[in-house]
Amino acid sequence: MAEKKKYSIKTDFSLLALLLIPIAVAVNFVGGQVAVLLKIPLYLDTIGTIMVGMLCGPWVGGLAGLITNLVLGIAEPTFIPFAIVNVVVGVVTGLCARWDGFSVWWKWIISMVLMSLASIISAAPIVVLLYGGITASGTSLITATLMATGMNIWRAVISTELVFTISDRIISYIITYLIIRVIPDRTLIKFSIGENYIKKRKADEEAAA
Amino acid sequence: MWAEKLRIRKNNVIADLYPLTKLWIAALYALCVLILGTMKIDGYPVYMMAAFLVVPILALLSGIFKKFLNVYKGIFTLCLFILVVQALLIKSEEIVWGFKLFGNFTINVYKGGLQKGLDLSFNIMNIASILAWFFQTTENKELVYALEKKGMSPKASYVFLSTLQMIKVLQHNSRVIMNAQQARGVETEGNLFVRARAFLPSMVPLIMGSIANTEERVLTLESKGFSVKCKKTHIFDVVPSGNERTAMIIAVTITILVVVWRVLAWVL
Repeated sequence: MAEKKKYSIKTDFSLLALLLIPIAVAVNFVGGQVAVLLKIPLYLDTIGTIMVGMLCGPWVGGLAGLITNLVLGIAEPTFIPFAIVNVVVGVVTGLCARWDGFSVWWKWIISMVLMSLASIISAAPIVVLLYGGITASGTSLITATLMATGMNIWRAVISTELVFTISDRIISYIITYLIIRVIPDRTLIKFSIGENYIKKRKADEEAAA
Repeated sequence: MWAEKLRIRKNNVIADLYPLTKLWIAALYALCVLILGTMKIDGYPVYMMAAFLVVPILALLSGIFKKFLNVYKGIFTLCLFILVVQALLIKSEEIVWGFKLFGNFTINVYKGGLQKGLDLSFNIMNIASILAWFFQTTENKELVYALEKKGMSPKASYVFLSTLQMIKVLQHNSRVIMNAQQARGVETEGNLFVRARAFLPSMVPLIMGSIANTEERVLTLESKGFSVKCKKTHIFDVVPSGNERTAMIIAVTITILVVVWRVLAWVL
């Protein structure tokens, strides 16, 4: 095992990483649209942010999340407050990736739980305090139904988010990981955290042999 | 400078203002709305509700009413939904209206919920619509370049502008890929499991292709001196139209009047 790799913001923001941000934002955008087109009842609109977080670390991931919601906000300004959630997604994924949180199955589970919790903790106050529990997404109908049964607004929002956010994040993580696995080594090595996935792949191949 | 600079000219006086001036106006308006929201008559934020007329009028005067209306419809629907849910579901002692539907089943509009709903929905409507006005009167290029003149890194403006371009490119590519995959027999209809399985073959080629292109774009940009540390030139320019001072004076005066009004209402 080599000595621990040092990360710096400057090396994180390489030109390749900067150019990956527009791709990530567009992937977030298109992912959400394809999910709607295929009538999948999940958002799947953070795949790009997660991908950048996994490859380039927390700061680039957070920036990709921020830009996603600012760009969405041009057409629909009510999305802008949710930039915080998207930034949190990028930062938490990036930190997990630095900790090498996608190498063993139990680290995977910890990463997914951390990330889902972080998304819910950052999303719930925005939904409740700013929007009174109702947002532009279809899950608000469920929240409203829960509220109609007499449930407290916080509990209604958090329980809806728990179900949908956790399943959304788990599937987004798996999809992103499948994508990273097919990125060739010569490209992966250029990203600041890419090395981890090459090691993992080597280890898998050795185990198979 | 040998190259003639390009500039977007607008016929309208308000829309032609410098992007940062418009951003200031939007910020001051949001501040006014928040201040007005704290003044309530019988628990209802009446003044703030009246203020929601300001932005549509501003949009009309800026000559972008049609574009504005498209965005406004979405905001309006969301706010209406918020208002209805709050008024019907947040229970409080006092009931404003009660409809008898059938038998003992009644729908009640609660006073506390109505007040909270009006507060939330008009706040969202006011602030979201002023942002809509800002983005509809300002070209993204203008905004980014104006920020760059204020000291933002040219790299940041490149990332922002290429993001907007990339969304269109990837949208187009994803359509092509989905058609190709359908032609190869990937099923995009059927039960949830079948549809969910179609997601991966639609997204993986899209992302892989884009990443491969990114590597090439890095080479192209480097060969054109993107990372060179020097003063960058622009073919596009953004200059003040000359009416910025007047606009700012009007906006600041209104804000000061609102603040004074609020303070007086407090003291008296």
